This record gives sequence, structure tokens and C-alpha cells, in this order.
Amino acid sequence: MADPYQLLGITRSSSPDEIRKAYRRLAKKHHPDLHPDDKAAEARFKEIASAYDIIGNEKKRARFDAGEIDATGTERQQQPEREFYRQHAEAPQGFKYERRWNGTDQNEADIFAELFGARGAGARARGSDASYTFPVEFAEAINGAKKRVVMADGKQLDVTIPAGMKDGQTLRLRGQGHPGFGGAEPGDILVEVHVKPHPVFRREDNDIRSTLPITLGEALAGTKLTFETVSGTVQLSVPRNANTGTILRLRGKGVPAASGRGDHLVELKVVLPDHPDDELVACITAWELKHPYDPRKAQGAVS
Amino acid sequence: MMTERELCQTIGYLEADALQRWIDLGWVLPQQNDDRLDFDAADVARVRLICELHYELRIEEDSMTVVLSLMDQLYAARRKLGTLLSAVEAQPDEVRARIAKYVKGEQAGPQ
Repeated sequence: MADPYQLLGITRSSSPDEIRKAYRRLAKKHHPDLHPDDKAAEARFKEIASAYDIIGNEKKRARFDAGEIDATGTERQQQPEREFYRQHAEAPQGFKYERRWNGTDQNEADIFAELFGARGAGARARGSDASYTFPVEFAEAINGAKKRVVMADGKQLDVTIPAGMKDGQTLRLRGQGHPGFGGAEPGDILVEVHVKPHPVFRREDNDIRSTLPITLGEALAGTKLTFETVSGTVQLSVPRNANTGTILRLRGKGVPAASGRGDHLVELKVVLPDHPDDELVACITAWELKHPYDPRKAQGAVS
Repeated sequence: MMTERELCQTIGYLEADALQRWIDLGWVLPQQNDDRLDFDAADVARVRLICELHYELRIEEDSMTVVLSLMDQLYAARRKLGTLLSAVEAQPDEVRARIAKYVKGEQAGPQ
């Protein structure tokens, strides 16, 4: 790593103000997003930024001058690899920013229209597809939903999420994409659905699984609980002597599918009280003395 | 995808008020779903760029509008150039040779 003073073109006696000015001048000159064609701009900008990161900060500069840290800044946290805007600007997602400044939806007024429209006798080309990602709630993906989305450029999009949609699936909205040239049909909008994870439920094919904590007393005596599934509230019967790992199957409360709706599998988990309690310990210990049982019997030689 | 809050946390020194102002000005165009804003990777990189231009390079609001407008037009032109380049690449050798000859002639200046 080169000397940060040299990189910024200043000397060790430069004032903080001079350092700031030098950094700004160089950063303007080399910012990669302002030089999309210059492959080396990103490396230069990063060098300048990390030089300024050290000597633009008076404490770090003093430590660098004293030789306590090197030009990479020894204990400087490894910065996560950052993404520059230019990596996105020409990708499909960048398209909305392009339309921003002409104030109209008139793609016809562009160079291709000139090439293939008026002048290019009869040339036709279907419009290109536009891609969007679209987040939906867990339950919406299971049950299906109608969503109205206001796209960034003000365009409204009605999206029907079919029931049972999986994360990463794509919906195709025909004819909603970019306009065609010379009277050809427009492209499509491709909506990639991102299903947001549910805090408790998870999907396994057409079944839904979740873990349900119960108290020691509920596990022993059994209980009836009200349980909220993705398709409404049900009464859940926890049987007597329900152990951790016991699975209760709620038929038809899973994901709708052509082969019939899947199930919701509730796995019970016995949870002890938050804090140790002498009364409980005495009570259970006394009971076990009278009724010994060995849950490790099946595992053989465990002592 | 990130929410406003996640974006502010990611960038650290970005404040919600400033971000809202930039959205109002149309500098950043997140997707609106119900009452929530979602920023995709391009939006996040763009906000980071605006932060650098504004807080570090001291480009103020009026100038920023000009800078972003020119920048977006630059990328738009590059996108179109990219489309044309793929179209040229897909042509038969003979057509590409004619285009190459034309382009060289243009670069050499008026005959």
C-alpha cells in the first residue's frame, strides 16, 4: 500500500483542510460511478478513500505519523466488499432512473425509434422485458393475494399472487414491459417473488411446520389451545403425556395444491420454568424415587 | 431488498430525513408495497453514491439534480450502446466488416 500522503498528493505538514480539499478533488476525479468506462477508476478510488480514511482523521493520522499503524490501518475493520452504482446502472433495475428525467413514458422518442421507426421501413421489434423483484408475506404466498404495487416510476401494477407460490418463482405479466418498435407488441414484466420468512412457520413442500412451546403441566395433563394457522384459527388438542418432539398434524391447514391442501405439522416442545424452583425439584425428585424410569434404555450403555 | 431503516443502518451516517428528501426529489426511486418502501441493490448503491457526492464531495441540492440527470443520461446512452453492440455482434461477418469500416472512417475525421 502506497504512502497515503503521496496518494493524496500532499505532505506531512499539510493542514486537515488541505487534506480534505485534496481528497475531494481526487475523489471527484476518480469516482467510478462517474467514469463507467474506466475499469481502473474503482481501484484508484478505493486507494484514495482508504488513504483519506487514515490521514483525514486526526487521531488515526497521529498514530500513522507515529508509526503505530501502517498505511492499511492495522486494526481497521475489513470493509465489506462494496457495490458501486455503475454495477447496477445498466442492468434492468437501473432502467427506472433512465426514464426519470425525460418526464414522459415516451420510449418512442429514442434512438431505436429513429432507427427502426420512421426511417427503417417497416422494421418491427418486440419490446424488451422488464424485471422486478417483489416481496410478499409468508401467508400471502400460501393463500394467494392480490397486490397493487406502485412502481418507482409511478406506474401501477396489479399483481395476482397465486396460492402456493414458492420463494424465487417468477410471474409473467404479458404486455406490461417496454413498448415495441414499429407497431410490434410490448415486452412482458417479469416479477420475481421473494417470500419473506415467517418468524415461526416454515414451509416444506406443501406442508407447514412449526414448533410450539408448552409448559411442563400442559405436557403432563394435556390441554386445549387456540392456534392460528395460515388458513384460520383452530382448536389444538395437546394429549396427556405429550413429549418434546410429539408432532400434531392439522390436516388441510398447509399449502393449497392441485393434489389437495397440505397439512400443518406442529412439533411440541416442553419448556421448563425460567428459573429453578426448589418446590418443583422436591416434588419431581420424590415422584421419580417412587416411579423410576429410564429414557436412555434404548441407547444401551449410557451411564 | 432493504427497508428505509435497514438502509440507514447499513450506511451509518445517513439520516432518515435526508433519505426522505431525496426520495421526494426523485433522486432515489424505491418500490412502494402497501405502506412500506423497498430498496433493491441498485437503489442501495445509488443512495451510497448520493451520500458520497453530497457529504464528502459537497455537491449541494441544486447541483446534484444536474449531476444525477447527466449521470442517468450517460448510463441510458451506455445501455442503448450496449444493445446496439449486441445487435452488431449478431450480424454476419460481412455486415460487421462494413460497420467497422464505417466507424473507422468516422474516427479518422472528414476525408
